[in-house]
Amino acid sequence: MDYLQYVDGNTFLHRLDPRTKFFFLVAMSLLTSVIKSAVALLFLLVFFLILWSTCGIMSEMVQLLKKLKVLLLFIFLLWLIMGIFEEPPVELLAPFFKGQVGPVVICFDWYDFYKGFVYALRIYLMIASFYTVLITTNFSEIILGLCKWHIPYSIAFAVGLVFQIIPIVIGELNAIMEAQSSRGLEIEQCNWATKVKNYIIFSFPLFFRVIGKAQAISLAMYYYKLDFSRKRSSYKTIKASKRDLVFTLLTFAVIACTIVLRIYFYVPV
Amino acid sequence: MSYSIKNITYQYSESGPRVLDDVSLTIEEGTVTAVVGPSGSGKTTLVQILSGVIPNLTAGGVLSGEMHLDRDGEPVLISVVSQNPENQLFGYGVEDAIAFGLENMGIPDEEISDSIEYVLDLLNLQHLRKRSVQALSGGQRQAVCIASVLAMKPQILIMDEPVSSLDPNGKMMIRNVLNQMKADNTTVLIADNNLDWSCDIVDRVVGLNEGKVLFEGTRDEFFRSFELQRTLGVMIPQEVEIYRALTEKDIPVSMFYQYRDAVDQLDGLFTDHPGSVKNSEIPVMKEPVVTTHQLNKVFKDGFQGLRDINVSIPEGSVTAILGQNGSGKTTLVKHLNGLLKPTTGDVRFRGQSIEGKSVAQVSRSVILVFQHPEHMLFEQTVLNELTFCARMQGLPYTDEDVMKILETYGLEDEKETFPLNLSMGKKHLLTILSVLLSHAEVVILDEPTLGMDLKIRSELEDIVKKLKDAGKTVIIISHEIPLVFRMVDYALILNNSVKLFEGTKEELSLRDDIFDSIDINLPPVVRLSRRYGFDHISYTVSDFAEQAAAVLDRQTREGGDA
Repeated sequence: MDYLQYVDGNTFLHRLDPRTKFFFLVAMSLLTSVIKSAVALLFLLVFFLILWSTCGIMSEMVQLLKKLKVLLLFIFLLWLIMGIFEEPPVELLAPFFKGQVGPVVICFDWYDFYKGFVYALRIYLMIASFYTVLITTNFSEIILGLCKWHIPYSIAFAVGLVFQIIPIVIGELNAIMEAQSSRGLEIEQCNWATKVKNYIIFSFPLFFRVIGKAQAISLAMYYYKLDFSRKRSSYKTIKASKRDLVFTLLTFAVIACTIVLRIYFYVPV
Repeated sequence: MSYSIKNITYQYSESGPRVLDDVSLTIEEGTVTAVVGPSGSGKTTLVQILSGVIPNLTAGGVLSGEMHLDRDGEPVLISVVSQNPENQLFGYGVEDAIAFGLENMGIPDEEISDSIEYVLDLLNLQHLRKRSVQALSGGQRQAVCIASVLAMKPQILIMDEPVSSLDPNGKMMIRNVLNQMKADNTTVLIADNNLDWSCDIVDRVVGLNEGKVLFEGTRDEFFRSFELQRTLGVMIPQEVEIYRALTEKDIPVSMFYQYRDAVDQLDGLFTDHPGSVKNSEIPVMKEPVVTTHQLNKVFKDGFQGLRDINVSIPEGSVTAILGQNGSGKTTLVKHLNGLLKPTTGDVRFRGQSIEGKSVAQVSRSVILVFQHPEHMLFEQTVLNELTFCARMQGLPYTDEDVMKILETYGLEDEKETFPLNLSMGKKHLLTILSVLLSHAEVVILDEPTLGMDLKIRSELEDIVKKLKDAGKTVIIISHEIPLVFRMVDYALILNNSVKLFEGTKEELSLRDDIFDSIDINLPPVVRLSRRYGFDHISYTVSDFAEQAAAVLDRQTREGGDA
């Protein structure tokens, strides 16, 4: 189980200063939360696709898409259904159906699909930008980067620890599910209600495993004399390079292009 | 120079029992001391007191006694290496992990750099310095863990069951690391009831039982006291068991710890060294119950876990799957119960493919007991846990059946206990016992001896025998080679995802080439019984001693006749 785990590599993105990647993450999160133009979002998607393929993380991003497919489908359908009760702001194509059902006017047309697509794509890009940074920045770099931004070591360490622990917890859950199904608990050929019930059952041993891990980690912190009240030294340092400058400029260029596309190709949603 | 504790008594609460009772011991500087004792003897509590976890991190306990763990009035630094390095290593890369403790101590950068170089050189780990911790094998992780605490320059290094989850290669690596540390005059304390891997390195032994010190002395004194070893349930190398059994038969040998030393002595006793046994009959196995056909598994990341594996597990047999970590053992058994789907090829139970069946459906025929009992236990009581498989499979059982199992394995007083409160060995035993009430004809046990002391191990052997007597097929993954040879009829050996060998134990006993290629040694009793041309290959120490006595008797008679 390698979901949410750092992907080892030595690509352009891997070698960037973590602060550059944090800036990229913040910029992309803001951009995708304000941009609602399909053309601009598609431009961003193309940029991401090029970035992922150059940095060798395309398969992880496809895996992410598979994991998110239910959520994205739900968002798409939600906005599609909500769009049925609105008329399109621009008359491009004739509606598939338009009429009054009781007191409600219904207009089922291309705009409903457009709206669903835009919202699903925004969510995917938002999560993907976070995931891109997460899987190309190991937790030691995350801690170093946050400390360089003058975030207290205790908070930076806690953030880094979370990213170290999440894959372990997912791995534990998987192992518990495998162990229980091996003993005869049906988790494959059962309905949704049973699946939910099973997850509640799995949460019990998972809880104890996580508590056990947390205890072991706190013991280890003690053995390694970790004391947040004491000043500590830092063996490794991070330094921005020309590479970071290039990537930051590229990020600005992408932001500019996205905004221009948003201005010229915008259908209100 | 030595460190000591005197009259240490500890209770986890005021009204609780004494987990340690008037414990006094001395740790000589520059020596390796082993603290041994069965589950619940107080080893872990002692480690926590020595390292300061008690009372600094644990509140509510009652601690009394004297601790002399200082040098010139300054308290010494004591570091601990736990049994699971994945819970102890902080930092993504090897260098990050080693630097972590030094950074916490506020050591300047240049000194950190020097310390990292020193420990990497000392433990021969330079080749790992740029690797990520995640990408290391179990043995390498444990070695990096040792490096990370050694870098802090502790005066005493404590290792808590450091090899319990390692394969033979991992154990070998930690032995080498320990030898380097010994040469460097590091003071080491190992809390482990298994002296099988460390007996030639250890200088002194402290035996704990029910919180009391039963023994404190040199290694040789400890190994000469057979009764003490049995009382403490210490796992010892088969070579020492051989010495013990021969001595009990009044065969004149002096103490040996390693195969080479055993050969040196026994060569002088046995006049013939033919190198092969007189009777090497190969038993005929029954028809296969589980088979795999051209089984291939390629994981998502492109790693090939299995390559063209064809195996036929004989019905009613006890079959071992052997190999180093990463050889494909667990991948193979997860195919046998349907947890993993083959990339190509298939798995058949009694000739029928299991394809399309859920794991729960396959578990009615093939059941897999996992390595870590915490993944399996989730009922509120031992009683419910025991009947879990039967309930899931809708099988009838009576209260008498359940009580009989509990009584046989000494769990009747704990039937209402919360399973996760049992000792590690008992937790593992419980998960294995729960399959006794299942319908499955094939039972797979993945590393069943993990966390078990000698007593529970002998109960495990009894369970396997009972399953076999009931006509069931048992498949065992284990790194404990002497135990495997004692229990099994049939064996598979995997190496780098490929099957190297499949056949009976008797055939395997003759294949030194296979064992050489996987870097594992045949059990000493097998090698020695072959070397001295006994009537048949010995798989147990008692059989070896019987045959040795018979051969020596024959030699004496022939010598007298001549």
